[in-house]
Amino acid sequence: MEAKSVREKEQPKTKETFEPKIVAFMCNWCAYSGADLAGVSRLQSSPNIRIIRTMCSGRVDPAMIMRAFELGADGVLVAGCHFGDCHYIEGNYKTMRRIELLKMVLARLGIDERRLRLEWISASEAEKYARVSFEFTEQIRELGPLELRMN
Amino acid sequence: MNSNHHKERVGVYICHCGVNIAQTVRVAEVAEAMKSNPNVVVSKDYKFMCSDPGQKMIEEDIKKHNLTRVVVAACSPQMHELTFRGAVERAGLNRYLFQMANIREHCAWVHSDVDKATQKAKALVNAAVHRVVYHEPLTPLKADINPATLIVGGGIAGIQAALEIAESGNKVYLVEKESTIGGQMAKFNKTFPTLDCAACILTPKMVSVSHRKNIETLTMAEVEDVSGAIGNFKVRIRKKARYVTDACTSCGECTTVCPVKVPNWFDEFKQQRTAIHKAFPQAVPNTYVIEKQERPPCMEACPIHQEAAGYVALIREGRFHEAAQLIHQKNPLPIVCGRVCYHPCETECNRGYVDQPVAIQHLKRFAIDWEMKHNGRFEPPKIEKHRPEKVAIIGSGPAGLTCAHDLALKGYQVTVFEQHSVLGGMLAIGIPEYRLPKKLLEMELDYLRGMGIQFVTNMRLGSDITIEELRKHGFDAIFIAIGAQKSVRLYIPGENLEGVVSGVDFLRRVNLGISREVGRNVAVIGGGNTAIDAARTALRCGAKKVTILYRRTKLEMPASPEEIADAESEGVHISYLTAPVEILGKGGKVTGIKCTRMQLGEPDASGRRRPIPIPNSEHELEFDMVIVAISQTPEVETLNGKSDIHLETTKWETLKVNPETLQTNVPYIFAAGDVVLGPSTIIAAMGGGRRAAESIDKFLNNEPLTNYTTHMVRESVPRGETFRPHSYAPTFKDTPRKERMEMPRLDPRRRAHSWEEVELGYTEEQAMQEAARCLNCGVCVECYECERVCEPKAVNHAMKDEVVELNVGQIIIATGYDLFDASKMVRYGYGKLKNVLSSLEFERMLSSTGPTGGKILLEDGREPRAVGIIHCVGSRDLNYNRYCSRVCCMYAMKFAHLVKDRTNAEVYQFYIDMRAYGKGYEEFYNRILEEGVNVIRGKVAEVVEKRTPDGDKFLAVRCEDTLIGKFREIPVDMVILCNALQPSKTADKIAKLFGLSRSPDGFFLERHPKLDPFSTASDGIYIAGCAQGPKDIPDTVAQASGAAARVLGTISKKEIQLDPIRAVINEQYCSGCRICNNLCPYHAIDFIEEKKVSVINDALCKGCGTCVAACPAGAITGKGFSDQQIYAELEGLLAV
Repeated sequence: MEAKSVREKEQPKTKETFEPKIVAFMCNWCAYSGADLAGVSRLQSSPNIRIIRTMCSGRVDPAMIMRAFELGADGVLVAGCHFGDCHYIEGNYKTMRRIELLKMVLARLGIDERRLRLEWISASEAEKYARVSFEFTEQIRELGPLELRMN
Repeated sequence: MNSNHHKERVGVYICHCGVNIAQTVRVAEVAEAMKSNPNVVVSKDYKFMCSDPGQKMIEEDIKKHNLTRVVVAACSPQMHELTFRGAVERAGLNRYLFQMANIREHCAWVHSDVDKATQKAKALVNAAVHRVVYHEPLTPLKADINPATLIVGGGIAGIQAALEIAESGNKVYLVEKESTIGGQMAKFNKTFPTLDCAACILTPKMVSVSHRKNIETLTMAEVEDVSGAIGNFKVRIRKKARYVTDACTSCGECTTVCPVKVPNWFDEFKQQRTAIHKAFPQAVPNTYVIEKQERPPCMEACPIHQEAAGYVALIREGRFHEAAQLIHQKNPLPIVCGRVCYHPCETECNRGYVDQPVAIQHLKRFAIDWEMKHNGRFEPPKIEKHRPEKVAIIGSGPAGLTCAHDLALKGYQVTVFEQHSVLGGMLAIGIPEYRLPKKLLEMELDYLRGMGIQFVTNMRLGSDITIEELRKHGFDAIFIAIGAQKSVRLYIPGENLEGVVSGVDFLRRVNLGISREVGRNVAVIGGGNTAIDAARTALRCGAKKVTILYRRTKLEMPASPEEIADAESEGVHISYLTAPVEILGKGGKVTGIKCTRMQLGEPDASGRRRPIPIPNSEHELEFDMVIVAISQTPEVETLNGKSDIHLETTKWETLKVNPETLQTNVPYIFAAGDVVLGPSTIIAAMGGGRRAAESIDKFLNNEPLTNYTTHMVRESVPRGETFRPHSYAPTFKDTPRKERMEMPRLDPRRRAHSWEEVELGYTEEQAMQEAARCLNCGVCVECYECERVCEPKAVNHAMKDEVVELNVGQIIIATGYDLFDASKMVRYGYGKLKNVLSSLEFERMLSSTGPTGGKILLEDGREPRAVGIIHCVGSRDLNYNRYCSRVCCMYAMKFAHLVKDRTNAEVYQFYIDMRAYGKGYEEFYNRILEEGVNVIRGKVAEVVEKRTPDGDKFLAVRCEDTLIGKFREIPVDMVILCNALQPSKTADKIAKLFGLSRSPDGFFLERHPKLDPFSTASDGIYIAGCAQGPKDIPDTVAQASGAAARVLGTISKKEIQLDPIRAVINEQYCSGCRICNNLCPYHAIDFIEEKKVSVINDALCKGCGTCVAACPAGAITGKGFSDQQIYAELEGLLAV
């Protein structure tokens, strides 16, 4: 990983013109399918969300989330199955623990912990996905672009 | 991690999906943008990538441009990933060197801003382009297919699929949670639109399921656990006990004797059935079943597990002889127990939560008295097999007698040794005549003598005979049940004065007829039953005044409340919160007691509040006799006598035994009753005797002392007012109150000086009335009447649930639907108004085996003059279910036709939209219109009960007729609701067990709504019938056959390929930290001690990647989802 200075910005971003980039890690069985269902049901969702599919939310390494912030993501959403629904029995419990810990680390690095969000979205919760996508985008818009300083 | 260093030749294809993608995403612009990536050789857009020319284009480009990687941006990979992998493979490239970008479901379909959507599409495709560079050629895993199939749900869908698969010769396990297969369809009368009789088309299929050798039907069974994957699932199934074996000939004799009636679930609870039952005459398997929901608490509380609920039910039915026989089966001392048992059964009786417990003890006495009066004495049972082993029983109290009885029944040679001259222990010397007449006790003993039990009196272990001598006489085992007959002293001054006696001694003296000498003014110290017995006996011996001194209050008194009340009504004075501090005397004789007043402090170890003396409250009371009855202890110190054998004791001077086996420290000596428990109750002692008999039997057979069938009383569970004694009964709160039948008693004035029995016993009417108060907890009350009458001996009440492990290759879920509970829609009055029926209730009414035998009748037995049928109850309604239940319009028409056919009633249909979409359906609609059925378009507002001026009740259906734009109120006699079809109540559990997703309506989610309605997201698990969504019988059968075809297709492949998405550990990097070992939910990671590294078992790994994310050394790679791939994807995603 190359060290970068302050991230280049193409143009000055105000609250109005700022379009957050949000990475969403979604498990194959619940959240990703929920987002698919949103598509099939033509439920509008936020175009700022860009989805990466993993088999289980438990696959998401906290380092990946950090890398996403480093590469210019203004927010990261991790979404998996509800407790008890995990296709791999209990992967989502591990996700929850990791995200909780990572939030503590984020705060120490000066990244607002609200930029990281964990949600449980089942394959049938297209509406929830759509709602969360807008809510989170608004949240990030509120927080403004992530200015990450690295030396 | 920079893709620029990696040189691959990538082809990118952007799909228009007709206009689906192209109208929101500028596809050409996306394709153009991708060309700037140095790895991209070709980038194109095309109308339909999934079409044949689309796929051909990829194949040709691979060859022409020597592509090494392919990206297709189109729909969700869950839709067409396999399609494109196939195309890639056909062109000679490894199928996994391909990546799909989802720009339809996740982009074009959900955004309207073209600029933003195009921007996002670029990011998504760019991510895929970055990622695919790091893809590696993978080899699919292969798995053998176990040809056996599990089908969950035995309705028409499950039956159809089972028959289709079995037809090909493959094994099918059909699991059904009810006692019969057939599902909801078996409840139907006729089927639309052809009006075939449902039974006529279903039952042959059910029978053929039972005849197929390769279909194994598991009824009353539920899946508990599923593991493994397609090809090799391991399934654990719990088969609930049926209590009737296959030997059942279905003669139905058992139902004529079963005393319990509950509503039949199969008839939608509109018809009564017995506890032993068959759901309907054509049930498959054609075997009866006993419903046991929970053991009745009275039986659970009884230490000898007496079938209290059973004989109470038989008494209610007036079958007193059978009741008495049942009591005698388990109880060797029924006369005694009917009179002086402490009845823990009544303490636990659920009726106690409603008003008062059922008078179980009085009913037992009634049954036994009735039997003695009508049939004389009980005939001792014939001992079938005699055994040579001899057992000595020391003590002839309830523990000893019960143990002797049980062992004698098993054929052992039993001798009972008693230290006194009379038999019965405390029953003879402790309990006064007015509670238990001696001649009745003698009848019990006669019965036991008749069984061949030998009795030796005046023989005391320790002084008259030793353990060694007993052994010399050939006794193989010894049971010690000497009770607790030694009085505990008060340890206050004056205890040795003349006129001070112990309660036990006093009662013994009187009971044995030695002396009835008593003072004029008698004090009894203590609050137990012995104290009360002593006080009442003293009165009967001629005492002028009897006072009980008790140091706590009535609430803490251990004596039974009835006894206390009886004593008080006879004139015994009880002085509470009074404790003696000194017994006063003059010339060596008692003159009185110096007492102190007490108050209650904090609760002590027994949970009762500790009495504390009130300072300066001492006062003197005059008495000329003092009976001390505070407690008793066993006389264990003299047991050993001159013997060398030493029996261990506890600090409470009781014998030390293993609480489960009742074995002492000497292996062949067992002990129970008061000598182990300290002063306790008759029934507890009997329970000990029974357990000891089982232990001794096991000991003499050299069996391990485990797995007891006798009873250890469980701790009671308090119940709330909303508890139901069984699932068909009202809650405690809603159960109608009924007073407990008073036991007729001798007039207190007369009885205080008489030795006549105080309690007189119930009459037949009183007993039947009291027995009717029983709530039939748990449905079956274990009266064993069915077992008695069953000629093929098919009934087995001891049957246990069975857990079966099955190995299957594939699974079909056909768990069906449940009916919407219309009582939620209060305005239609279901559950409150009479003659408002659910659709299934009406189906049962139409059936010839239903509650009315197929006649359409109102609750009062009249034929309805008009019937209203309300559509869309709980469906197409935002408050309940948004979806259309699809079948309701059609069955509503079927109902209308049948009402017209069978009655002269007017029929009104209230509908929103009439949906007659299937083959022959519209024609059927026309037919019923021609028959004169009134159809009113409009959702019903409410159904209310009204009266005509003559007081005649009717139902008024209020609605807006939207075709004429008027409010209408239609008078009818009967309303039939068309309840929505809802996901089965078990759907949630099934979804979790099998890892299925559910659509927003709650039904199981299919892999694709159009192209793949049979499969689920989990490979090898299919769905059929209403479990997937509401549908009619033809559709269900079609879907079931489709799922069966899928199963057969896979079986015929014998082997299938699985995505090799698995985790792999690079041993070089593994530091052996073992963090991953415990993370894996499938225990797929083993630690190799010699190498100090972890390895992953490919066969167990499912590829979730949790370990990959956790490995601190980065030694684990997720094939198909490697760190490199995901990081590259992130880079590509965020570069745009």
